Amino acid sequence: MSAGAGIASQGGGVAFAPMLRKRRGTELAMLAFAVLITFFAYANVGFGVNGKLPSGAFGYGLAFAGLLVAAHLTVRRFAPWGDPLMLPLAAILNGLGLVMIHRLQLASQAGLMPGNTLAASATTTQLLWTGLGIVGFIVVLVAVREIRVLQRYTYTLGIAGLIMLAIPALLPSSLSAINGAKVWIIVGGFSIQPGEFAKLALAIFFAGYLVVKRDVLALAGRRVLGIDLPRARDLGPVLVAWAASLMILIFESDIGTSAMFFGLFIAMIYIATQRTSWLLIGVALFVVGVLVTAALFTHVGARFEIWRHTFTAANINCNPATQTNCAPSYQLAQGVYGMGSGGVVGRGWGQGQPYLTPLAQSDFIVSSFGEELGLTGLMAILLIYGLIVQRGLRAALTVRDPFSKLLAGGLSFVLGLQVFVIVGGVTRLIPLTGITTPFLSQGGSSLVASWLLIGILMRISDSARRPPPQPIQEEGMTQVVRVT
Amino acid sequence: MNRALRRISIASLVMFAVLLLNVNYLQAFQADSLTSKPSNVRAFEQQFQQQRGQIVAADGTVLAKSVATKNVIYKFQRQYPHGPEYAPVTGYDSIFGASGLELTEDKLLSGNDPRLLVRNFVNMITGKKPQGAQVVTTIDPRAQTAAYKNLLATGLSGGVVALDPKTGAILALASAPSFNPNNYATFSGTKLNKIDTAYRQSPAQPLLNRAINETYPPGSTFKVVTSSTLFSSGKYTPDTVVPAPTVLQLPDSTATLINFDGEACGTGSVPIIYAFTVSCNTVFGGLGMKIGGPALHDQATKFGMNDPNLTIPLPVSESNMPLLTNDPPHVAQSAIGQFDDTVTPLQEAMFSATIANGGTLMKPYLVQKVEAQDLSSVEAATQQSLSQPVSGAVAGEVKRMMLSVVQSPSGTAHAATASLQNSGIEVGAKTGTAQNGINNTGLDDAVFTCFAQSGNQQIAVGVVVKGGGQGADAAAPIAVAVIKAYLGQQ
Repeated sequence: MSAGAGIASQGGGVAFAPMLRKRRGTELAMLAFAVLITFFAYANVGFGVNGKLPSGAFGYGLAFAGLLVAAHLTVRRFAPWGDPLMLPLAAILNGLGLVMIHRLQLASQAGLMPGNTLAASATTTQLLWTGLGIVGFIVVLVAVREIRVLQRYTYTLGIAGLIMLAIPALLPSSLSAINGAKVWIIVGGFSIQPGEFAKLALAIFFAGYLVVKRDVLALAGRRVLGIDLPRARDLGPVLVAWAASLMILIFESDIGTSAMFFGLFIAMIYIATQRTSWLLIGVALFVVGVLVTAALFTHVGARFEIWRHTFTAANINCNPATQTNCAPSYQLAQGVYGMGSGGVVGRGWGQGQPYLTPLAQSDFIVSSFGEELGLTGLMAILLIYGLIVQRGLRAALTVRDPFSKLLAGGLSFVLGLQVFVIVGGVTRLIPLTGITTPFLSQGGSSLVASWLLIGILMRISDSARRPPPQPIQEEGMTQVVRVT
Repeated sequence: MNRALRRISIASLVMFAVLLLNVNYLQAFQADSLTSKPSNVRAFEQQFQQQRGQIVAADGTVLAKSVATKNVIYKFQRQYPHGPEYAPVTGYDSIFGASGLELTEDKLLSGNDPRLLVRNFVNMITGKKPQGAQVVTTIDPRAQTAAYKNLLATGLSGGVVALDPKTGAILALASAPSFNPNNYATFSGTKLNKIDTAYRQSPAQPLLNRAINETYPPGSTFKVVTSSTLFSSGKYTPDTVVPAPTVLQLPDSTATLINFDGEACGTGSVPIIYAFTVSCNTVFGGLGMKIGGPALHDQATKFGMNDPNLTIPLPVSESNMPLLTNDPPHVAQSAIGQFDDTVTPLQEAMFSATIANGGTLMKPYLVQKVEAQDLSSVEAATQQSLSQPVSGAVAGEVKRMMLSVVQSPSGTAHAATASLQNSGIEVGAKTGTAQNGINNTGLDDAVFTCFAQSGNQQIAVGVVVKGGGQGADAAAPIAVAVIKAYLGQQ
């Protein structure tokens, strides 16, 4: 990640707070817009599939709008200086995801989906999870008034995160595997993906740990070939993170999650130390790890084969249960075909065939959007993600407290990385790994975790944008100087 | 930390830029090549998800339509209410392929034609179901039914084509034996394969569209072309008296040319119109040799023969008149529609249509217009002339001779067209009895070309009945029935 190597480093010192306005009215107007778009999309699905306005359109619309109003009022009361874009952007993604799940649920009920994987209650369930997610967002804003409070729980959260990550690997497959990915905890009919929450816990842990250790990590070491190498003993934490991510890769068959965790750690250590050597070491370790495991474990190697030879008849017709010399690429091929069939303007809500792609409602929901909303709609969605990441990084740049800075930077980056890994995967930019698409995918854990993430970023942006206490004029020569 | 954060921002920007570039590549540039991948079933299944447009006759009679089914993938099933009668027009549409107009107009019927793009986009926005465009043909159901029923009644194979000489619109396009396109409208691959194989292996060749894709020797009907060549040269008129031997000795060979059943032709010296009316082979064989192979070839080509590229929009097989130089015996045979001359029934209709239309040959066409779902016009036929085979004066002279074939008591078509006499319908015709097989051992083909006019309405008909014997016997009654059906005298 040396893309920014040529950028001058001016402005790294003092951050001036311009005359900021709260812009809560803007937020409310944009929220109304997000609800309106969601509502029209929902109506459009009804017209596209059944030729009439779906029953319950107003009920669902009101429920969704009500939840967002509650979130907005909470922001007004508890984070009045929070970023005004964050909540509407998350809301529109969540809304579009709900509509797409509803659209696929209709197809599933009509018997069009392979295996008819979506229950008749899928939309309602997802709406309930949306409610829970927004409640989570509210709780973060109400309970965590100052983000540094979290720093106290650095190690607690670190251990909790590791345990959450490890549980699915330790549980028997019957309690942890869905569609071959061993990343779940299944209790009764209820399943959660602990990794989604581990992501948040570990980001907080990394931030707390690195704030304390960053000077040591940044300064000690030797210079070899123009690169500042860290001391061997300081490599410890990096190696632990690397090993942990490799464990995920091997025991949970999940390159995506593994790449995300390692990416999160490397990005945060780089932000903390500003030393390129950490980046290089991290990327090198990851590449070596992936290559070695790809060679040793067939399920990892198959990902590369699917990616490289997606459209060969042997791979498309491959049945991994009975065949060993092929890699099943049917799903990826179908997803890509769907995007191709969507073209530039898309087939329209309810008028494409996204249901032909297995898991069109979760891993491949981006393909579904590409098919029905076309290149135009998909670019809009990617730009919305890009904006959220950009607003998060903006908060990281402006906020003064290093812990907040690290946490906001890490979370924003990992959100972007997650989008890159899954969208890049379904569009054949990189090998496909099944991780969730934030806010869009069906599934509660990811949705709730994403809302919590937005809650944390809102809290940080609130302190970033909050005007500093006014200097007292009477003190004459004394000036308040803020140093980052 | 801000320097690193900025670099992380730039890295994020790069990640999103790469994603955006990649989706652009995939959806804007690769879309077409992805659609054509063999394992991509989307386009294939989609055609059964939306309603395909109808094919209708000129008066709105439905020839092919799609009706809703209960199946969730194959939501619509094709139906052909009149089955075999219109099969040469509609063709079939199946899950494995299509033929006829179903094939040539597929993009419009399925709604995938670029001209429907804007309408489809508007429909998408308004949530309307996409639907294919409706193809309105030029077929006149009265003429078509008369053609098919009477052709079928002969029990023989053959084809019938009727044209509007003034426009080139195809009024009837019948072929027998025909097939039932409804049999192709199945979603079961095995069933479809079985039907298709049965049709393909049947010796009756029901899938062959004989009206435009099978060629037959024109026999004496080719004398229309030979006469046109003679009159166009300016050296002959219908009244020019020419030698009419009973047996014509062909030069440089032992072969001879005789008249039908070896009869004499008049008094041995007759006007051309007489030879045409009673169809003397020896007269036209001799005149053909005089005017020469290249002139005949040139005239035949102007009439639309020797053209492998004609589409209506169904592709039409080439009607053939070989270019013969320095080969008088074959020129003589060719001049009376034998040797290697072959024509489609459509070509037979084109001969008469040219004469009836004052010498101008209009391009035959089958699709009058194409209408979108909202009945707005997507495409409308433009009448265009294909060529000017003869001048108006020459056309008038040939027309006089063709009228004589019907009106003169000795005319070859006089008896067969008796029911049209004194009906107010003016009919001109030429019969043909084409010899067939090695050493002419096969059954003769009955060939007939004619035009008819009543008031402002005109029709030209071409009929070939394989093994039907004399043209006046098997083919003429079919043409008469078509004329009566179309010109409303029954």
